[in-house]
This record gives sequence, structure tokens and C-alpha cells, in this order.
Amino acid sequence: MDVPIGELLRPASVEEALALLADHPGARPLAGGTDLVVQMRDGRRQIDALVDLGALGMCGTGETDGYLEIGAATTMEAIALDPRVAAGFPALAAAAAQVGAWPIQCRATLGGNLANASPAADTAPALLVAEAELLLASAAGRRRVSIDRFFRGPGRTVLAPDELILAVRLPLPRQGDGARTIERFVKVGPRQEQVIAVVSLASRAVLGADGAIAELRLALGSVAPTPVRARHAEAALAGRRPDAAARRAAAAALQLDIAPIDDVRAPARYRRIAAAVLLDRFLREVAGG
Amino acid sequence: MAEARVAVSLLLNGRQRTFAVPPGRRLLDLLREDAGLTGTKEGCGAGECGACVVLLDGRPVTSCLVLAASADGHEVVTVEGLGDGDELHPFQEALVAHGGVQCGFCTPGLVVTGAAIVARGAGPHEHARRLAGNLCRCTGYVKVLEALATAATGKHGDGAS
Amino acid sequence: MAPRSPRTTATAAARRTAGAPLGGRGERADARAKATGATRFVGDLAMPGMLHAALATAPLASARLTALDTAAARACPDVEAVLTAADIPGENLVGVIFADQPLLVTDRVRMVGDRLALVAARTPEAAWRAARLVRAELEPLPAVHDPVAALDPASPRVHEAGNLIRTFVVRRGKAIPGRADVTVEAEYQVGGQEHAYLEPQGCLAVPEGRARITIIASCQCPFYVQQAVARVLGLPLAAVRVEQAPTGGGFGGKEDYPSEPAACAALLAWYTGRPVRLILPRELDMQASTKRHAMVVRHRWGAGRDGRLRFAEVETVLDAGAYIGISTVVGERANVSAIGPYDVPALRVDTRVAYTNNLFGGAFRGFGAPQVTWAAEATMDKLAHRLGLDPLEFRRRNLLDDRRRTLCTGQRLPRPVLARECLDRAAALAGWDEFHGRIGSRGGALREGLGIGLALYGCNLHHGGQRLDRASAVVILQPDGSVVVRVGLTEMGQGNLTACRTITAQALGVDPAAVQVWQPDTTAVADSGPTVASRGAHMSGLAILDAVRRLRRKLDPVAAALLGCRTREVELAGGFAGVAGEPARRVAVAKVAAEMAARRIEPIATGWHRTRARRFDPETGTGAPYEFYAVACHVARVAVDAELGLVRVEEVAAAHDVGRALHLDALEGQIHGGVVQGIGWGTTEELKVDRGRLANPSFTDYLIPTAADAPVIKLAIVESDGKGGPYGAKGIGEPSFIPAAAAVRNAICAALGVEIDTLPITPPRIVAALGDAHPFAWAVEAIKAEPDAELATTARDR
Repeated sequence: MDVPIGELLRPASVEEALALLADHPGARPLAGGTDLVVQMRDGRRQIDALVDLGALGMCGTGETDGYLEIGAATTMEAIALDPRVAAGFPALAAAAAQVGAWPIQCRATLGGNLANASPAADTAPALLVAEAELLLASAAGRRRVSIDRFFRGPGRTVLAPDELILAVRLPLPRQGDGARTIERFVKVGPRQEQVIAVVSLASRAVLGADGAIAELRLALGSVAPTPVRARHAEAALAGRRPDAAARRAAAAALQLDIAPIDDVRAPARYRRIAAAVLLDRFLREVAGG
Repeated sequence: MAEARVAVSLLLNGRQRTFAVPPGRRLLDLLREDAGLTGTKEGCGAGECGACVVLLDGRPVTSCLVLAASADGHEVVTVEGLGDGDELHPFQEALVAHGGVQCGFCTPGLVVTGAAIVARGAGPHEHARRLAGNLCRCTGYVKVLEALATAATGKHGDGAS
Repeated sequence: MAPRSPRTTATAAARRTAGAPLGGRGERADARAKATGATRFVGDLAMPGMLHAALATAPLASARLTALDTAAARACPDVEAVLTAADIPGENLVGVIFADQPLLVTDRVRMVGDRLALVAARTPEAAWRAARLVRAELEPLPAVHDPVAALDPASPRVHEAGNLIRTFVVRRGKAIPGRADVTVEAEYQVGGQEHAYLEPQGCLAVPEGRARITIIASCQCPFYVQQAVARVLGLPLAAVRVEQAPTGGGFGGKEDYPSEPAACAALLAWYTGRPVRLILPRELDMQASTKRHAMVVRHRWGAGRDGRLRFAEVETVLDAGAYIGISTVVGERANVSAIGPYDVPALRVDTRVAYTNNLFGGAFRGFGAPQVTWAAEATMDKLAHRLGLDPLEFRRRNLLDDRRRTLCTGQRLPRPVLARECLDRAAALAGWDEFHGRIGSRGGALREGLGIGLALYGCNLHHGGQRLDRASAVVILQPDGSVVVRVGLTEMGQGNLTACRTITAQALGVDPAAVQVWQPDTTAVADSGPTVASRGAHMSGLAILDAVRRLRRKLDPVAAALLGCRTREVELAGGFAGVAGEPARRVAVAKVAAEMAARRIEPIATGWHRTRARRFDPETGTGAPYEFYAVACHVARVAVDAELGLVRVEEVAAAHDVGRALHLDALEGQIHGGVVQGIGWGTTEELKVDRGRLANPSFTDYLIPTAADAPVIKLAIVESDGKGGPYGAKGIGEPSFIPAAAAVRNAICAALGVEIDTLPITPPRIVAALGDAHPFAWAVEAIKAEPDAELATTARDR
């Protein structure tokens, strides 16, 4: 069945796309469509016009002034296969390879995964631990927003109606002397593949030569209205060796970082426990390293 | 506005074709209704079952989530375009030989994803994961994966993995 | 005479080498067309002038319809008709056995998804848009959502006569709890299941004025559809032709339910005079179509120190939903399947079927047996545990066998009874003894377990449905020697076309490629009953053998004339008619066919099979509920991540008493599919129902297994010369499913050392079952007690 839209606008350049979005207040950008088309089809979204971003490029990765920049229209498949992503941001590579199933990964884009603003978005925790920033643009100009401030709630972001995500910029990690970095993304769901996260954890630890945690970033999905950084847990572990006492303190602190609810996918209690388990396993890996 | 049409040109199963369709038409419906290629199936309309998978520029996508207009200027291969005349694609042939076809409704999408796996040379350890977007309720996947292993080996030899 | 059943127990492999069709692995009849996308399912069929149907349905589970306004829907562009109950020319009724379900609501809504109005429009978009504009005024009424509570007379009544639909019992001996050394009491909450056939429900109705109509439907039971459409339109049966379209999976979900969409499309077609196609969107399909019944099963079972069962008490309540459908028939099977293939001297089974305002309970692979088997096998493990016995050994001590073969209903099982054989073969394949000989670690997060599921399956229809247990076939020998076969039982992926082709080829001694079995059509054969109860190959096969026998009365004399031998000396094999004992004297069957054509000898024969009448008393549950039985045993090995509650089924060893394999690939495919579907039911497939509304009506949230979830499956095909169907074959469709979830449950519980009595066993249920023993339970308790203070302190503290 046809998706109920009045118009499909197909700009040839970013500037044209921004102008169209500015001129059509009811218009919405369309990238891979793997979320948007479902929402329009089942009536959750009423949209007059779509601005198809397919011809604008905005794909691929490149390194500039200390950042890895990923075009917003880069597909999950491309991200999962990109050697630069794999080298610097393994959590993002792992997350991209777990978004839906392969045919979805070949179509879904990074920008779309973020703009859709699902609390369960797989790439979001990975970008939170990378402390990425988003390059946004509208006809009025461009701005950069930290990923930390991008999400406002389920399906809600700071994007203005006429604004696009152009790219995601990830600060390239600096390798300190003798330091060791471990970065992971783990997702929990009842099925092996093609499952929406019940809990996900992206984690990045830099260990000093003494084995203590010099730097730690933790972010979770599906445990709050938005993907969240786990600042309490990070603080509980800062400068410590991940021994049993530290892990226990982290598990307790983590509970303050998250606010899961009971929903059709899992009860809140399960999400809390699973989040604690994922963190504990990461810390054990770090300790055992 | 609902009467508006957009032109969509595709390299469809090796032939250049142009269609005029409503802006909200899905690639799936263009294939089935406008191009008459009913091999591609709709099982859920939400990108979850994989019955509608086609190759878009060589990559498997769920055609129920692709607007036809977004595919304008691109190449599409459906289950009907995988073989060569009467000769089936090696994965199709292997599925038939291994008894991997039961009700057949998931089969076209499964065949397309499987063909993409064979083309990519993905190793056996990746087969199940890459097929996970193609739900099948009949076979338990056992004979399907056997057929895929056969087809992948036949095409790429031992170096495939 | 048709070839006799082989009397030896030659392996299937040996017969395959011999080149005979039977037991081989020839290409499935329908595989090539399906693999190329050439097969046309009903959604692929279109006709000039065809309209698209849509349904306006009730969003509430219990309400009074006070007003229905279709004006806005009628005013929609492209809409050709909007129909309500008043437009029905015949009876407003679709119940297959009982008259409790209207096609369209007149006053009372009893389930979410009850139909209020029907729309036909020129496009599907317009039809569904208009359906959403039908305005119904619904006055909410009290509803009942718990099947046990529904049996309380004080509960809201779904129908006037009360919520207890039917009670079935089995009684044997006297329960003497005092004599048991150990007793297990348990209440099992066994969840329902969505069929999740990949092809949604769909049909195409093509009217010829108002005189007659053709329905092309995705369905298991064209004769049910025929009856429903004839009744709703007020037409004689002969004026309703139903062709089964290639059907994209059924599993029971296309047994009785397709009559509903077919009646809708038929009514719209009858009214508009145009072809009407109805394809249900997945969400509505999942909400409104039938489901495996949720059941509550209560047990009190006792055993002695000698490891023998002493008594069993089983009380089962089936959640039928708002209409009976075929729930009573499911209850009948659940009732007599309640204790599996075990010998229990004292038994008391009560099975009650209750109305609720929940999802519509119906047929689903196993038909009530899987739920009670899941409970029985759980209790068997608990008793073994209490007795300190190996669960395998405990089962062995209580099995029915060739000497001890009296079923709980008093029926003597036909020999051979292969429970021991199946149990031991599956256990050996699974490496049961080796596994338990290993030193298992119980402390870590990742644990392994092995579990047994054993089931006794009554083949074909229960005594209560015996009036339907007959089947029709037509065999036509073409002048070129190819053969057309028509049967009344359907192909839905299980392989009936392939089984019928194999049987025909074997019986006529021709190459299977020469045989074309066409989809059923109610004008081609007589009513053959439903394609259910694993009876497809059995019943149509026996009808085919009857037809071939009759055909040979005409064929053999012609062959004998060509061969210069006596008619009774004619043998058919390898594509030739030959003289018995003289391999050199033979003539191609094609030549005989041509000769028959030249002589204008009738080349068509009909066949018929009906099961023998049995005695069974439904009041006491004594007698012969089924004609014969099959045993199935699955042993599952699981890896459980105890901290996250994640289950991975690594391997299933499956031993099946199949009588005789007709076609090995089809047989194995059935078992593989049944096992994986059973794993899904047991672990991830949860129907989340909120006041009668399905909260997860999509493949996004109703999780069936993917290719990545499929375990290694090892098979033991146990063949025998027992009583069975064509060439001794027994049905496999349902036995392949029934024990799987039970085996998985027992493996999970063995791995964890806890009992989980709710199906499905999801990750949250596992974590909940571990309770305070879970290493991180404290973290949740802490934040519940002190949402901020203590944890903040702990966190800062560090």
C-alpha cells in the first residue's frame, strides 16, 4: 500500500534541501526510511511532504583536524565495514552491525538512527562514549551540538523542523604512553539477531600503566527516555582498579544513571539487573585484561 | 496532490525501465503492481520479515521500506532476475536440491539475501547472522543453511571464508 | 493390486539407493516454482475490475454496540461498498462447530477485532482509509481476562449461557495419595502462540452474479470455507467453489479462521458483483486470527521410591477467547494427552474450556497436546529429582511399551509401542550419559543443561471428529502416460503435494516427475475434511491408493493384452508394466496409456478412504480416542547465561516414530521446522495481552526464531511395520513440535537448578526466578528502598 504523503521532493544539493525544508513547514527529511516509512505506514506520523536526501551524498568517512567525520547518510553496513571506524571506534562498528538485520543495515543511516531518537538506538550509546558532536544545518546556518545534548525524549531531539544532520564528528582518541584502551558495545535482547535492545551498553576504558582506570565513559540504551551517559557509575570508578569493591560500587551507582520502565519488551527490574551485569562484565574484562 | 506522479527510472533485472507512480509508492508495490514482478512478497510491511528483500545497487534491502522514488536512477534485482534464463542461481538450485523450500512465501526474499551472501563471499560463520532478517516459519533454517553453504562453496571454493 | 507395504525394515537409505520413489529425496513437487518466485499466492492474483476489501473492527474487548455510522466511509473516494450485518443475505454466522460467532457484530462486542463493517474500494489504500472512518458507538461492558476466574459464576459473562463451554474427563483407578512416597504439586501457566505464517491471511472472491461464486483462498480447509461462504450468502454448497491458493504456511492458523475473511470478501463480491480481494495487514492478522490456547494446568502427581508413578491428577483450563471456534476439539486432545506415554494406575483428569474476552483460541500444530505435555514433562522431571533418579531412568520405568500398553482411556495401543526406542535413541544422540558424566560447573554465569521432552501423539482426528475423517482422491492417466492427481487435503508447506506425488508414483510404478498433484478445489473432489491433525499425507495417500486400485482394473487388462500375459500377472515398476518374474517382458506405462486412449477406455478413477469406527465415551473418557499413535522424543541441550537470562538452544536430538518415511527431505524438514517453532514457543514468543488487546502484534516485538537461533538438530527416524497410513507412514507435522518446548524447559531448569513453570521462559522470567540468588538482585532492592540517598552515598563514597 502506498504511504500517505502528498509530495516527495528530491533536491540535488544540501543547500537545495535546506531551502526546501525552510519553504515547506510540514516537510520532513527522508534518508534510509527504515524507521520513518514504518511510522508513516501505521499512522504514527502524518507527513505532507518528504525531502529525499538520497542524492546529496553525505556518505562516507574522513579524518579532519583531529576528528573522524562520518556523513549522516552513511549506512550501518558502510560503518560496520569502515576500517577507520573499526580502528578508532570499535563500539560504533559493533553497534552498526547490530541495527536490525542485514537488509536494514544496508539501508539505515547514521543520521536517521539519531534523528529517530529511539531510546534503544544502537549507535547512540557508542557515540555518547565517543563524545561525538553532530553537525547540523538549516537554511539559517550551521551549528554543532554535542551528542550529550541532542536527545530530548523518545522521538524528540533538538533538531529544528527545518534542520538536517549533515555529519557526525568523533574526536580521534589520543593514545597516551603505556595506556591501554578497551572499547565495547554489547546489546541484550531475547533473540540472537535482529532484536531491539532491551538494554545496551557502550563502554570505553583507558587504563594507566598501573592498571587503574584513567578514563572511563559509559553509555546505555533502552534504560531511560533517551540514551544516557552513566556519569554516576563513571565517577564511582574514576581512578580505581576495577576490583570487586569498585565493581559493586559501580553497579550501585549505575542505578542512579538509569530510569527504566516496564514495557512490552521487558520489565524495569530486568533492565536494571541486566545493565549492572553488562557493566560488571566489562569491568571484569578490563581487570582481567 | 494525491494524483501527483513521479517518474522512476530503474535498471530492473538488467533492463532499463521507467514508471510513473504516486510519491508514496513503495518500491515493493512498484515491483509487484507496476512492473508485474510478483515474486517479491509482502509479509509484514515493517521491514522485519524479509519476504520483500531485493538487491538495490547490489545490496539486500527490504523493499517495503524503500520509497520507489528513492530508488530512481538505481539498479534493482528481484528474485526473478537472479537466474540466467532457465538456469537458476546456484543458491536457488541448492535450495531446491536440499529440500530447503516448504511453503515458499519467504523463499524469494531469502533467495535474494542468500545470493547477496554468496556474492560477498561471506564465510559460513556469517551465514546465519546475515540471513537473520529473513524469517522462515517452516524449515527451521537447517536445510536453508545447508543449501547456502553448498552454494557459497561452489562459487568461491575453499577461500570463501 | 497396489504394491504392498515393505515387510522388511530396510532403511530409508537402502530404499533410496534402489531408486524407488518411496523414502527418497527427490526434488519437492513445488520447490522450483517457489524458489524462482513463479508460484502465485493469492496476493499475487488480480483481475480486471477487482476491488480491495478492508475491515472496520472493534477496539474494545467487551462492549455494546449502540450505533454504527458508515456515512463518512461511504463518502470516501474510490469506495464502492460499505456493508454491515443488515446486508447479509444468509446467516450472520461463521462458527465452525457452534453458532456463537457472528460474521459482523449486531449488538455485542466480545473481543478486540470483532468485525463491525466491511469496505470494498478500488484501491487497498482507499479501503483501509474508509474502514478507519466507520464510527461505532461502543458502550464498554465488564470483561473477563482470566480463564480460571471466568469459571466463577460471578464473573462477567461472555455469552448468556455462562463461561464454561465444556468439561472433559478421564478417570482411571482411585487416587491413593497415601501410597506415594513423593508428591509434586504445581500450577503451570502455559502461554499461547501466534502462528506467524509468513503469508498473511488472504482470499479472492469472484462472483458470477448472485448465482454462484468462486473463492481462491490461502487456507488449510477449503471445505470449511465453502460451508461458511454458502451459509453467509444463503447459497447451496454446489454454488460455492473454493480453490486453495498456494498457501504460505498454516500450522493450524489457516484451519478454521480463513472462513472469516472468505465470508467477508464473498459478501462484498456478492453485493458489488465484482471480484474482491482481502489481504489482512499483519497487525490485524495477529490480533484477530486464532492463537494456540493459553492454558492453566494444575498437577498433583505421586510416585513411589521404586520410581513408579502411583497417581496423577490434572486440572486444565483452556482460554478459548470469546468464541468456541474449535476449542472443544482442542480440549478433547488436551484431555487424553494429559499424562503422555506413561503408565499411571490411578488417574483423574479434568479439562475445562472457558470463554474469556481474550485472543481467539484455535488450532495450532499439536492441538492442545503441547501445553499439557509441557506440564507433564516438567512434573516428570520434578518427581525424578525428588526421588533422586536420573530423569531418563525415571521415564524408562514408567513408559508404555509392548507389554504395558493400555492408554489412560483404557485403549490398548497397537504394537509396536516405540516410546522406549525413541527415548533411548534421542538420549544416545544427545550424549545423555556422557553429559552427566562430565563434571558440570554450576557456579559460573554460563551454564549448560540437557532436558527431555517425550510425547505420545494420537494420529488423525479424535473420536469426536470422526464424522469428518474421510478423504477423496481422483487419479487421471493422461494419454502420454503422465498422471493428474486431485486430492481434498492441502499443501501449506508441509509437503502434501510431494507426499501425494510419491505415493502415486510408487503405486503406479512411474517416475514422480510424471505425476502432477494439483491444489485442492471443492469441485474436483468430495469433502475430505480438514487438513489438520497430521492427516494430510495419511488420508489423501490412502484415498490415492484406493483410486489407483480402481484405475488398475482398467489399466491392467490393457497392459496384459500388450504383454501377452494374464491380467493378474501385470506388475508396475520403474515406469513399466511388466510380467511378474520375467524382467525382459515389459512395456512402458506411457504406451499402455496411449493404448487405453486409443481404445477409449476410461482413464480416470476416484478413491475414497474413511477411518474405521471406534468406541469412545466422552462422558467418562474411556475408549479409543484415536486410531493409532506415534511417539516423539526430543532432548535439548541449552546454554543459559544465568545473569542475563539468555537462552541459546545449542542442539536438539529428535527421535520420531514415523511408521514409514515417504519422502526423507520432507520428513526431515517437518521435524526441523517443528523443533525450531517449539523452541520459539518455549523461549521468546510471548503474546502480551492487555485487556484483550495484543500489545505486540508485529514481528518487531513478537520474536520468532531467526536463522541465528536454529540449533544443530540430530535426527533418529524410527521406522516400523506397525499399523499406519499409506505404506505404513504416520503423520509427522504435529509430533515434530509437541515435545520440543518441554525438552528446552527441562534443560533450562536443569542448567539453573530452579523450577520455572511459566511458558515462555523469557530472559526476565529467568532472572526473576533466580530471585535474590541473582548476583545483582541487591542493586535493584537498594534503589527501591532508597531511591537516592544510599546509592548516591555509595557512589560518592567511592
